[in-house]
Amino acid sequence: MTRKMVLVDTSKCTGCKACSVACKEWNELPAEKTKLITSYQTHKDFTTKTWTYMTFLEKYEKQSMNWLMRKAQCFHCADPACLKACSSNAIAKTESGFVVIDQEKCTGCGYCVENCPFGVPKVDPIKKKAYKCTGCIERVENNLLPACVYTCQPGALSFGERDAMLGQAKDRLAKVQKTHPKAQLYGEKEMGGSTFLYLLLDSPEVYGLPINPTIPLSLTLWKDVIRPVGGIAVGGAAAAVVIGVFANLFRGNYRQSDEKVENDSGDSDRKKGGKD
Amino acid sequence: MVVNLETKKIPAGRIAEDKVLRFSVGERISHWVHAISFFVLLFTGLGVLSVFFQPAMSIIGGVQVAMVIHRVSAIVFVVVVGMMFFIGNPRYHWRWLKFVFNFTKSDWQHVSAFPKEFFGGHGNYPAPDKFNGGEKINSLITILGTVFITLSGVVMWFASSFPPALVRWAYPVHDLSMILMTAAVIGHMYLGLLHPDSRAAMSGMINGYVSTKFARAHHGDWLERLEQEQKAYDDSEIINHRLDNRGKGSSF
Repeated sequence: MTRKMVLVDTSKCTGCKACSVACKEWNELPAEKTKLITSYQTHKDFTTKTWTYMTFLEKYEKQSMNWLMRKAQCFHCADPACLKACSSNAIAKTESGFVVIDQEKCTGCGYCVENCPFGVPKVDPIKKKAYKCTGCIERVENNLLPACVYTCQPGALSFGERDAMLGQAKDRLAKVQKTHPKAQLYGEKEMGGSTFLYLLLDSPEVYGLPINPTIPLSLTLWKDVIRPVGGIAVGGAAAAVVIGVFANLFRGNYRQSDEKVENDSGDSDRKKGGKD
Repeated sequence: MVVNLETKKIPAGRIAEDKVLRFSVGERISHWVHAISFFVLLFTGLGVLSVFFQPAMSIIGGVQVAMVIHRVSAIVFVVVVGMMFFIGNPRYHWRWLKFVFNFTKSDWQHVSAFPKEFFGGHGNYPAPDKFNGGEKINSLITILGTVFITLSGVVMWFASSFPPALVRWAYPVHDLSMILMTAAVIGHMYLGLLHPDSRAAMSGMINGYVSTKFARAHHGDWLERLEQEQKAYDDSEIINHRLDNRGKGSSF
């Protein structure tokens, strides 16, 4: 399967939240008690049972209000930090470009939670498993649209081949920029190019998104430097011990020292009557 | 002369015939509690850290159980050994720290001769004190490794109470401390169990005593000082004894 893409065109979004309902329905995720975060926003963050939600932001500028809405879900990065951080090979990337967690393999260590630059995965403290948006991979691989895309009424979500969709996104951006000069694409280059790509009406930081999301330096250092160098260090120590034992054998040091010990302890044992 | 640094409050003296007390009961408890909990932590930690070791966790009932055991033994690893610095006769622990953090020129000379010794040869270096350069490095790795693995472990345990940036750095710190201590413990076990010369030191960690012969050959400075201290102590005992007798005599 070729690389797919979902374009989230926030200029068309009406904030109806049908996508988050469709997500809950298809993925059989129970509803959670919510409360208002801002004017219309009802979810503050992802949970193990809420994989997508809407953020609402009222931005006042030059006597007018811009209503910025964004559907939040896993970006499905081409270069995912969660996958790199996972210690039990539970996270995988599909050919179509979706990043999925295998709950069978997951041990709930939470390394993915801490390393995701967008704070997407969440660990269930009882089940000890991490959960996040799957991109409805089982639908996609059976030639269906992801549930959120399928349900979106104003056409803010569209799905297709990445190359074709990227062209569409750029065309759309050119149009939107006439009315929203700060509009930009987010996810074209970020994290190696994400499968969910946004057309934002303002700069990412206004939406609370990192301007330049990257794999954390600590993670690269850990997995690409400390781990291999450490493996060599521990292996080297073990090898040195093996060589040390053989070197001592060849030099006859064990024989010598045993003789010495026999002579020494022979005397002292007799003195003490072998009490020790 | 400064007397009684090590023999104070040990009336029987530390040198008994052909043996000399190297490690107190408290030191030995600390050592073995630290050693055993380290291996439990290493085993359970590797189960969380790597898929290669994960199947081995079935011995103890799975990764989730390993995580619980890891945290329980972490408390033993830190709290019990930490407590030994304050209860019983902790002066030995503090004195060990003082030795270890005082890395001298002769320690460097020992370290540079160490590779030769490690593989069964003989290098030239001045007679070390209670701890030689290699033992000091092993102690330093253990001390610093324990401090860093504990601090990073606390951050990882209570990850939600710390900023993500700190938690992200705790992982490599925890890993690096583990790697350093594991490499050190491999060498440490070789020297204690398998190395023909230095394994004579093993009894010091079991019953506390090493042979004076070993002490003279490997820790000459230390034994000499102990002998002087013991002599000074014995002399003062004799004087006290005489003084006591004189006092008694005059009252009668």
